[in-house]
Amino acid sequence: MGIPLSQMFTVARYVLKQHIAGRARYPLVLMLEPLFRCNLACTGCGKIQYPTALLKKHLSVDDCLAASDECGAPVVSVAGGEPLLHPQIAEIVGGLIARGRFIYLCTNALLLEDRLDEFEPDPHLSFSVHMDGPRAEHDLSVCRAGVYDKAVAAIRSAVHRGFRVTTNTTLFDGANPDRMRRFFDDMMALGIEGMMVSPGYSYRKAPDQDHFLRREQSHRLFSRLLESPSRRWRFNQSPLFLQFLMGKRAFDCTPWGNPTYNIFGWQRPCYLLQDGYARTFRELMDQTEWSRYGHASGNPRCRDCMVHCGFEPSAINASFGSLRGMGETALALVKERR
Amino acid sequence: MNDPQATGPAPPEALCALIDRAFDHRGYVTLSRRDGVKLVGFVYDRGPDHVELFDEAARCRIRLAVDQITGVEFTGEDSAAKAQQIWERRKGALEPPDTAVWGEWGEPERGGRGDRRAARGPRPVLILVALPAELRSVAGVLGARPGGGGARGRLGAIGAVALAVGVGGGAAQAVAAERPGLVISCGFAGALDPSLAPGDLVLASSVHDEAGESIAASEPVLCAARRALDCGDPACLAEGELLCMTEVVATAEAKRALVRPGRLAVDLESAPAAHAARRAGVAWLALRVVLDPLDADLPAFAQAARSSYLAPALRHVLRGPRAAVELAELARRARIASRSLARALDRLGPVIGGLANAEPAP
Repeated sequence: MGIPLSQMFTVARYVLKQHIAGRARYPLVLMLEPLFRCNLACTGCGKIQYPTALLKKHLSVDDCLAASDECGAPVVSVAGGEPLLHPQIAEIVGGLIARGRFIYLCTNALLLEDRLDEFEPDPHLSFSVHMDGPRAEHDLSVCRAGVYDKAVAAIRSAVHRGFRVTTNTTLFDGANPDRMRRFFDDMMALGIEGMMVSPGYSYRKAPDQDHFLRREQSHRLFSRLLESPSRRWRFNQSPLFLQFLMGKRAFDCTPWGNPTYNIFGWQRPCYLLQDGYARTFRELMDQTEWSRYGHASGNPRCRDCMVHCGFEPSAINASFGSLRGMGETALALVKERR
Repeated sequence: MNDPQATGPAPPEALCALIDRAFDHRGYVTLSRRDGVKLVGFVYDRGPDHVELFDEAARCRIRLAVDQITGVEFTGEDSAAKAQQIWERRKGALEPPDTAVWGEWGEPERGGRGDRRAARGPRPVLILVALPAELRSVAGVLGARPGGGGARGRLGAIGAVALAVGVGGGAAQAVAAERPGLVISCGFAGALDPSLAPGDLVLASSVHDEAGESIAASEPVLCAARRALDCGDPACLAEGELLCMTEVVATAEAKRALVRPGRLAVDLESAPAAHAARRAGVAWLALRVVLDPLDADLPAFAQAARSSYLAPALRHVLRGPRAAVELAELARRARIASRSLARALDRLGPVIGGLANAEPAP
């Protein structure tokens, strides 16, 4: 597992505190979307299709920090849009670090080298670089030639300067497991801390509606991809979530685990679905009809979803929810380290 | 893209379906409000009884009760449909590698950029009231002592001037002299809506004068004011049309004759203030506080516009016990209304910087 011990300890302590306090629902990762504008238009992205005035809008530094304070999650994933288009992104990150949050700054890395000087390496900050596969697949996915090479150069630069770097890979129908395994080797060879992987969510607003994975397809793909993993691979994810992707475990979604805040407010119910917005985090938690979401609900929009923002929290809950879960997680971690 | 099928007054079920469609639409819609105002914006939330949208400039959030909506038009392009069409057209063809890394947005000036308005510095807020009693309430909020018919102080971070211009006039002269960034007309009003009680606040979405002319308030100003005022105060905040007359509407019967759907209250000052602000090219806001409910008569001495009501009130109380009770009741309502007005202005303070120098309604 690629997650540093200090982060694991902080998250474990937080989760145990929630369990001891008897909280049935608590946030694990704040998905902070300070803006929706992006310098790419990827085929599978349904996040950025808004009128220009809304795309030009962004959350202020104070808005972002207040959202983190309100939510209290130990981890903040700064997503979007492309966060490096935000003029005060370094201040936002600095403010979150000052609050002791662990930050994943999700970026396509096109601006990473340009803006790297604005950041200081810190154990609480990781650049999570969007890499959807080898050069041809990635450039096709982001609809622009040369993006893979730019991202690799930026990763090298950030790693060289002592930043934590992870990659974030979204897979769609047609992904070639053998090529993806070689891609994982290539990413680890860059010196990154770990990788994140997930099937894409079938956004209704995304341009390409033909390549989203069905649940069974996801199981088949991830089984071929992750069975007998290379010893060099490190994943910045729960080992139980990876087993879930392979169909070896069944979880239902924990939509409140990764609450999302953006220019509209607190998004109901999760990072992927937009059923409206709450004005406060408390309102989101207390007044969302959570039973309408997840596989068990029968909601067709949740049927094929296996995305990490909903199921990582489920895996974490399983790890900490029982002695058996803890034992299985420890065993999976040991296996991964061997 | 206009969708003619979605225009015009719609029955409730059809309206709900249109609102759902507007919520799913990744583009602007135009909502028609019961008072005739059309709001253009992006709907991002909806509930059983409300809709929330960003205005077209994405500066201001607007919350509308569903029962205030009479129609929905899909007047803006659907960004998601457009993205899908573009992708279909160029499927497999990649953008060249030298495409700008800042995309179409351009590199921002980090550390902020000033605009011409900011460089000029904020102009003051001009608060127009009619009576000295109203001026005293306002002066307290500005941290100033009233004197010479006015008070100068600060509202939030902005300089503010409050002037008692009398009943029905003086607004144009005050606006010309003070050159404000925002005109606020505030003071007492009579309710034309049966649900409004003494102390309730009325925010005017439009002001309708006796000549039949209607002036709409600037939506961003209205929106910011609404957000500041709608924050759990015991006084109710209502938003809708304000009728401005040239004579006091003192009896319940006279008020009932003026009742129209969406019309909330009647006063004597808002229309001249709105006209003066419009002529000067500045935004305005009319905030009234209810003094007399719809079914209440004002005492006889208050049925004519005067600069001071002190002497007529004293004469009135000499008429007997019933007149004294009337006067006591009026004084009680005036106290409630004054406190409510002061609290409302206090709450406007933090957002007033954003309202001053805002664009006026076209």
